[in-house]
Amino acid sequence: MIEPYLQVRDLHVWFDLQGGRSLHAVQGIGFDLGAGERMGLIGESGCGKTTAILALMGLLPPSASVAGSIVLGGREILAGGEESMRQHRWRDVAMVFQGAMNAFNPVRRIVDQIVEPMELHEVAEGKAAERRARELLELVGIPAARARSYPHEFSGGMRQRAAIAMALACNPKVLLADEPTTALDVMIQAQVLELLVGLTAELDLSLLLVTHDLLIVAQVCERAAVMYAGTVAEAGAMETLFHDPRHPYTRMLFGAAPDLYGRGDVVSIPGTPPRLDREIVGCPFAPRCDSAFDPCRVVTPETLAVGPAHLARCHLNDPSVRSAS
Amino acid sequence: MKADYIIKRIAFAIVTVFIAVTLNFVLFRAVPGDAVSALRCRQCTVQFKEIERRELGLDRPLYQQYLLYIGNLLHGDMGRSLRTQQSVLTELWPDIWNTVPMIALGTLFSIVFGIIVGVLSAWRRDTFTDKAGLYTALGFYSMPTQWLGLLMVLFVASAVGLPTSGIKDPTLGVLTTPSFATVAADRLKHMVLPALTLGLVLYGEYALIVRSAMLETLGEDYILTARAKGLKTLTIVRTHGFRNALLPIVTLVALSLGFIIGGAITIEYVFSYPGIGLATVEAIDQRDWPTLQAIFLLLTLSVIFFNLIADLLYVKLDPRVVEE
Amino acid sequence: MSGTPPTALAEDAALHETVTTRSRFRFLRSPALRKPATIVGLCVLVAFVLIAIFAPWLEPYDPRAKTGAVFEPPSAAHWLGTDDSGADMLSLIIAGSRVSLIVGFAAAFVAMIIGGTVGLASGFFGGRTDNVLMRITDYVLVIPDIPLMIVIAALFGRRLGNIILIIGIIYWTSTARLVRAQAKSVRERTYVKRVRAVGAGNNRLIWRHILPQVTPLIIANTVLMVAIAIFAETYITFLGLGDPSLISWGKLIENAFRGDAVLNGAWWAIVPPGVCVALVVLACTMLGQSMEDALNPRLRVGHVSVRRFRVLPAPLGDRAARDAAIHAEASKASKGSKGSKREKAAP
Repeated sequence: MIEPYLQVRDLHVWFDLQGGRSLHAVQGIGFDLGAGERMGLIGESGCGKTTAILALMGLLPPSASVAGSIVLGGREILAGGEESMRQHRWRDVAMVFQGAMNAFNPVRRIVDQIVEPMELHEVAEGKAAERRARELLELVGIPAARARSYPHEFSGGMRQRAAIAMALACNPKVLLADEPTTALDVMIQAQVLELLVGLTAELDLSLLLVTHDLLIVAQVCERAAVMYAGTVAEAGAMETLFHDPRHPYTRMLFGAAPDLYGRGDVVSIPGTPPRLDREIVGCPFAPRCDSAFDPCRVVTPETLAVGPAHLARCHLNDPSVRSAS
Repeated sequence: MKADYIIKRIAFAIVTVFIAVTLNFVLFRAVPGDAVSALRCRQCTVQFKEIERRELGLDRPLYQQYLLYIGNLLHGDMGRSLRTQQSVLTELWPDIWNTVPMIALGTLFSIVFGIIVGVLSAWRRDTFTDKAGLYTALGFYSMPTQWLGLLMVLFVASAVGLPTSGIKDPTLGVLTTPSFATVAADRLKHMVLPALTLGLVLYGEYALIVRSAMLETLGEDYILTARAKGLKTLTIVRTHGFRNALLPIVTLVALSLGFIIGGAITIEYVFSYPGIGLATVEAIDQRDWPTLQAIFLLLTLSVIFFNLIADLLYVKLDPRVVEE
Repeated sequence: MSGTPPTALAEDAALHETVTTRSRFRFLRSPALRKPATIVGLCVLVAFVLIAIFAPWLEPYDPRAKTGAVFEPPSAAHWLGTDDSGADMLSLIIAGSRVSLIVGFAAAFVAMIIGGTVGLASGFFGGRTDNVLMRITDYVLVIPDIPLMIVIAALFGRRLGNIILIIGIIYWTSTARLVRAQAKSVRERTYVKRVRAVGAGNNRLIWRHILPQVTPLIIANTVLMVAIAIFAETYITFLGLGDPSLISWGKLIENAFRGDAVLNGAWWAIVPPGVCVALVVLACTMLGQSMEDALNPRLRVGHVSVRRFRVLPAPLGDRAARDAAIHAEASKASKGSKGSKREKAAP
């Protein structure tokens, strides 16, 4: 097996709160992302998925503390803090943000904003950079003639395409996309997702797609990690997660999504996720879990391999815990 | 579309001018008694006032007076001063040219320092720099202008050896013909304290405006994008932050012109600086309403004019404005 | 709604809940109001209001009587010295607080009534009414406020009531705009639409539903307006357009100037009234601003900062050691950031 391009190990993020408390937003997650691979990061809002990818970019606010390891192309980049991560931004890891509407500065031309990182990272300069920006716009399906437009002259879908073009400016190896299609209507959503899939194949780009929408992940990704309360509850191939979920949360979450073929009932998961500003005892999902048993409320489960490239963090998979109870 | 916007703004300015002119007419006709009865001067006998009344057309119906007023304005005639019998505009002309450089100097000072401190303060939010900048600005913002002027006269003038009243040294040019440089230096010396007073009060206001506009801008999503692109903080603050914060700043500075002018009036009074402000105070003291009326109209017109300039500047600054 | 987990919908509903129940005085619990600046502002304002109320009992001398020599410097008998007529400065300051604060609050009240009515009408009825009223507001906004005030005061002024009215009439525009925006957003909220669908009339809607939602904002704006009104009073009075029979802080500054306090080097006749004006204006500004921030937390977290997030050494797997490390790093950082409260409790 080839060495994965991006390796995240035991990543933690805390935020300082007022009154001396802290919020443990990401509680030791880990995953690998190989070259050209498309992976999803799924979870409800507030489960720490956006925080996790902001940590990958080194874009956390000053109230945050991070620990863990992020290895990019064989080099540890987290330990050097924000300054060392700045050099990797956009050149190695680029990002498409959630609010495509506001990702562009409203008073500057689209093309100038695409050229900006190229000149900064010395990918291209002047005329050449502008030519490249036009090519990128064509690549995402925007006529080069519109390059000198201002953001407000683009529709939502065009702006999101332009944001993708901007993300590709410096030939990154990894593309992080945070809910890239939430603000768009369904038709446009499908087009943008298709574009993302096409681009990853064409440019050998790795994609990490963060979303709460299972259908989107199913449409785009080969693998996914399901996040719950700052932890990865289960990770594996999409197929496996759909047909052989080994964590009740995954099972219930997929049950909650409308069936791909329009069959089955929509099940909602009762209860709310635990508060992350307090120490969580036992399994964080236990209070909402339909299969919880005694140890779940006391013992924190370990992440276990439950199959080839399939991890789950649930006592149900641990024969020693099950037999003890 | 650009032309549409520009035409709209110019139309707005013209309508505002018309409203200001009408307001000016109505206010001075609504005076208890009439425009002449309150006049206070040596030659203001009853007969004199009677003649004045006829000259001003106060004995005619209101609509005729209104048309007369507008007609005169269109000819550039703003009336005669009741006190000196001179055309008001001729009277005020030198005053205007005394005031303009003083206000310009003070405003320049305040804009430069207001922007520097406001930007630094927002960028270094919640640090010592921010708090120091914020509270100094708030302090100057809270001081009555005329009071700060008095403090200047009382504590600063003697310490730095600057004149505290008038616009030129009365002994200058009595015995010899001074060179242009000497005259200019003398004018500047007389201008420094009034301009500094105005500048400091405005500085407070502008620093607060710039800081809050910058804070707002630095919270925008595109700033996060800029950071994600790997831009250095200084570059972000300069090219994305300040550039965008300029929009609210231009609007608010244009709207604060009334405040600038008001400050200038009391400052000129404190420093006996013979400008439009001192002329206002004299006109009020002598109940010389035609002069006061002309001054108010001039001030209003200049504010409307600068607001129009700000509106037009917006076309350059914000591509979105044209769409609306 | 394809694929949106119901939990997200629940969260949406919860968000609506907080928006709609954020009514009345819930905002008083906002952290924006617990900043020291706010509390100091409130204390200063309350102190001055108390002084104004109890002025006659607090004045050591009759402020209108000659109780010392002309421009007597501060002494044990006259803590703040005397003015150009030999009256006690401290007594004058205390007496002046009454008129200044009355002008401030009353003029702010007038501005609030006019601005509140225009804003409510504009925001609630929308359409034509809104167009016309906002057009008028735009025009008034461009006419320079202080010169207009001076002209009106010169023509009609010289009595306290007039001055209050003048200031109020000129400064209603910002209140009108704020209230309009708020009323508009309240009108669009689901529960107001529901109440309307049930058949509530405009009257009932405005008095029972819109006004209570808008009131806190109007109060915050009024506090800011008090500062502006007190300021305006000093301008009008300084130009000799104040009520000649009344003592106010503006009047004291005017007296100091006309009575040649500067020539006599009598700083004690100049400094105190201005300090009082500045203190009250500062207090109102800080208080009003914090109230607005509490109501409308529009200042988002900045994306640019001088400080950086912290990277903790990660002894992988050893939870206790890492918690200790967080604690150490956090306390180091809190010392670095000049006393801001950034203590981190061990998780």
